Amino acid sequence: MGRDLALLTPEIAVLLTAVGALIAEMLRRPRISLALAAAGLLVATSLTVPLLGTDTTVFGGSFRIDALSIWAKLILLPATVLSLLLARNDIGGTVREGTVYSLICLATFGALVLAGAGDVMFLVLGMLLTSLATFALVAYPDDDPATEAAMKFFVFGSVAGAVMIFGLSYWFGATGSTLLTDLARTDAMPLAAILGLVAVVVGLGYKASLVPFHFWAPDAYEGAPLSIAAYLSVVPKVGSLFALTQVVRDLPVDSGWPAVMAGLAVLSMTYGYLAALVQDNVIRLLAYSSIAQSGYFLLGIVAVGSSELALPSIILFAAAYAAMNLGAFAVASATGRTLEEFSGLGRARVLTGIAMVIFLLSLVGIPPLSGFVGKFLLFAAAIDVQFTWLAVVAIINSVLSLAVYLRIVMPMYRPAETTTVAPATWPGVVVMITFAATLIIGLAAQFFLAGR
Amino acid sequence: MNEIALPVVFPLLAAVAILVLRRWAPALALAGATLSLAVSLWLMGRVAEGHLETLLLPGLPDMPLRLTAEPLTALLTVVIATVGTFVLIHSVGYMKQESGLPRFYAVMSLFLAAMQALVLAGDWVLLLAAWELIGLCSYLLIGFWFQRSEAANAASRAFLYTRSADLGLYIAVFILIGSAGTSEIAATMNVGGSVAVAAGLLLLLAAMGKSAQVPLQDWLMRAMAGPTPVSALLHSATLVAAGAILLIRVTPLLAPGVLLAIGLVGGFTTVTTGLVALAERDLKRLLAASTASQYGLMLISIGAGAPLAALLHLVAHAAIKSALFLAAGDFQHARGGTGFDRLESVGRIRPWAFAGFTLAALALAGIPPLSGFFSKDAVIAAALSAAGAVWLAPLALAGTLLTGAYLARALRLLWRGAGGTRPVAGAAWMGVGVWGLAIPAAALGLAFGPIEALLDLPAPEAEGAWAVLLGLLAAVSGLALGWLVPARRLLGPANPWAQSGLTVAGGLTAVVGRPAMAVSRGCERLEDRLYAAALRVGRRGLTIARGCERLELSLYAVVLGAGHANLAMGHLVRVGDERRIDGLIFALVASVRAWGDRARTLQSGLIHHSLAISAVVTAVMLLILILASLRF
Repeated sequence: MGRDLALLTPEIAVLLTAVGALIAEMLRRPRISLALAAAGLLVATSLTVPLLGTDTTVFGGSFRIDALSIWAKLILLPATVLSLLLARNDIGGTVREGTVYSLICLATFGALVLAGAGDVMFLVLGMLLTSLATFALVAYPDDDPATEAAMKFFVFGSVAGAVMIFGLSYWFGATGSTLLTDLARTDAMPLAAILGLVAVVVGLGYKASLVPFHFWAPDAYEGAPLSIAAYLSVVPKVGSLFALTQVVRDLPVDSGWPAVMAGLAVLSMTYGYLAALVQDNVIRLLAYSSIAQSGYFLLGIVAVGSSELALPSIILFAAAYAAMNLGAFAVASATGRTLEEFSGLGRARVLTGIAMVIFLLSLVGIPPLSGFVGKFLLFAAAIDVQFTWLAVVAIINSVLSLAVYLRIVMPMYRPAETTTVAPATWPGVVVMITFAATLIIGLAAQFFLAGR
Repeated sequence: MNEIALPVVFPLLAAVAILVLRRWAPALALAGATLSLAVSLWLMGRVAEGHLETLLLPGLPDMPLRLTAEPLTALLTVVIATVGTFVLIHSVGYMKQESGLPRFYAVMSLFLAAMQALVLAGDWVLLLAAWELIGLCSYLLIGFWFQRSEAANAASRAFLYTRSADLGLYIAVFILIGSAGTSEIAATMNVGGSVAVAAGLLLLLAAMGKSAQVPLQDWLMRAMAGPTPVSALLHSATLVAAGAILLIRVTPLLAPGVLLAIGLVGGFTTVTTGLVALAERDLKRLLAASTASQYGLMLISIGAGAPLAALLHLVAHAAIKSALFLAAGDFQHARGGTGFDRLESVGRIRPWAFAGFTLAALALAGIPPLSGFFSKDAVIAAALSAAGAVWLAPLALAGTLLTGAYLARALRLLWRGAGGTRPVAGAAWMGVGVWGLAIPAAALGLAFGPIEALLDLPAPEAEGAWAVLLGLLAAVSGLALGWLVPARRLLGPANPWAQSGLTVAGGLTAVVGRPAMAVSRGCERLEDRLYAAALRVGRRGLTIARGCERLELSLYAVVLGAGHANLAMGHLVRVGDERRIDGLIFALVASVRAWGDRARTLQSGLIHHSLAISAVVTAVMLLILILASLRF
């Protein structure tokens, strides 16, 4: 028990941080709440570092301390801190400001639970924790678009959650256990295995906004504060994709899950980019782009269990995705929500413009940026398990994605039509940090790959 | 070994072909039956050489459907195919003047297929399915002249009676599969104890319904409202035989107590329906009562622990009774009815049919050397040697005596008196049908030796001279009584009771029948509720179908889009030619943008649309996974 708790100190720290932020808010000290949340999450991150290399489970196998869950903390906790900084820019000065920080910490806690789930009950718990906190976050502005977005998000989430819990009961019925490691026993009962699999795909696919469970995402991103949209596009998504990885690691391959993942990957990538191509709103464009990026994650998930490249590729792409996507949202936060507002940005604010171009090129997957390394590894993993066709589809989609992201870049270098306001402090900071991360992750990983 | 399925497949194909083509119905049905007969004979030959075959077909999980060719089942397919073929030949003549022939022949062929499936079935699920199908065919065929309220009522009554008795089969099958863990019939024979007793009694109930045993015999008498070939095929030789066949097949399962119950039910039936037959004033109804009575004899010998005797009698009876019915059909056409008042002296006018009728009647009465003599001898021997001989032997002898009496009465009524005739169309076809079955009815006794050798069934123990003597005595005295003494005198005070036939059922309805009807009414209510549920499901289905329609429309739009894309491609090539490569790229971009617009239309912003799309894709995913996991 003592050992288990010691291994869980980062999670406990996140939880305490959430509580601390809430207490500070109750004392009407929102700045302290923010500082406490950011500091607590950074402490949790540093507490995670010594765990690197551990591969064990706690609480009788129901929670895993392995590469996935540790790297989830190392990626998602800093990403959450950056989201907090963006949030300060968005909602600073509103009443109940501190509750946002607290809820963000709680949602992150849920994502971490998902990423380390070794038991279907943890899947449910993580899903509910994340969902409930994010529903409230989306609805925070208390205006019509936000309420509508939150309502859609909520209805979709309740349906998906109910379906997931219902389907998971088949797994429990088939194996008599809630542990994921016992899923191998569903071999004898293909129907139960399939029903459970489909339910998990519905539940986690909704969280990760995979097509066709993505419908809430563009509306929620558009209606929610920008920082919350940025947060939603990274933390819960990565958490649930990691959870999906945890689940399929233990599923028998012959239940057909790789084919399902491949199909969803094609749908998500293609649909996401096609829809992004016709958006005039930068946030909706980024929302569809993030839907497509979820599809890329699935390339790595397809290879789980059969290829050594699978886990490194997923983790690396998660890190790259967190950096570049947060960066793009941070630029949008400093600039505006429509494509018109971006025109002339590259001339008016040269550095921000360069950073945005780098983020977008990284999202396309241009070397030597981090997105390239991540996608490269994902393609390699998919080819490694004879899903070459899937890699080809993904590469074709990358070409399509260039057209999508160039739609933002092109107006940026038109002659300025409007004078842009001076950038706020926090988004600038976030842009700088993510910019550095995007470059460093890419370069470091390439050195690492070259060394192999 | 897929040849086992052929006796089933040929009539089935014939039924489908008739329904599709709507012409050449008699030829197609006959072709199906003849091919089925040929395959059955070939199968019988193979089985006789010692090849036992089983065909597994995918069915319920862990419960494959199986068709089994073993001596018993192969013999029964031959019997059914033979009777079916000759009855169909007969009906070519009999049905010449009717309309709606495709329906008649299609259902007859379907019935043949279902009946063949029933006898070949090696597992309970298939047997149950075939059992239900023959019931359905019986309903459709009895009600062939559904415009006549009498026929429609008879059809419903037959369906309800047999359906409620079928409950016994359902429960028995559930019990057996539940306790044996498999649906293979042979494997479920090993269960013992109270399970076997309960299952045996329930199976007896099902057999009583199908084989028209007292108190469930009423439907068979009324079923005579249907066309005569239907009576000849379904209500004498095949459908009615299903009950006895079922009991013969499950003999190893039956406990001594159950055997006695079967014997007593059979004995009671053979005597009561024999009396009813003696008083009957309609030829077809007399034959129907006689059918119930003969199946009573078979149940006696099953109850006596000698299923072989029952089987021999079943085979002999199939040929004999079909021949009798077919001859009755001939008479019916000659006089426009089957009441004895109309049929006076018809025997002298239609001598060939009457000769066939007489031959078959003598065979049924048990006159040597005709087939009925041997089979009835076996039944009586079985009854004499049984554990419950005190009960069974007198009942069996009384049944034999009554058989002789009512047949002699029928012959006399058909011969005496005076009356005209009217032209009979298709008499040649009918004659072939009658004689095609009358000859085996006479000569089948020769085949009994090889059949006994082939089948692995317990035979009667004592084949003494007593049995022969008593049987012959009963038969001859029955014939003499029936010819010489009028039925009214013979029956004495029992005459009105027997004459109505209904009072037997009515009296018993109070004791046994009414609860059965209550069960059946309960079933009806249950069915109503199921119907309501089905309606609800159907409405849902309709909603889904509407959704599918909408999906189809959007798919259509997608296809249209693909067509447009193709056009655009052509345009693209032209533009590429005319405006070099940069034009081409712009055209490509334009077409991709058009696709993007389509993707946007999917995103209507209405949450129920989104959820519906999610649900449809999930369902497709589920379907694909399940189909992939089946991998047959």
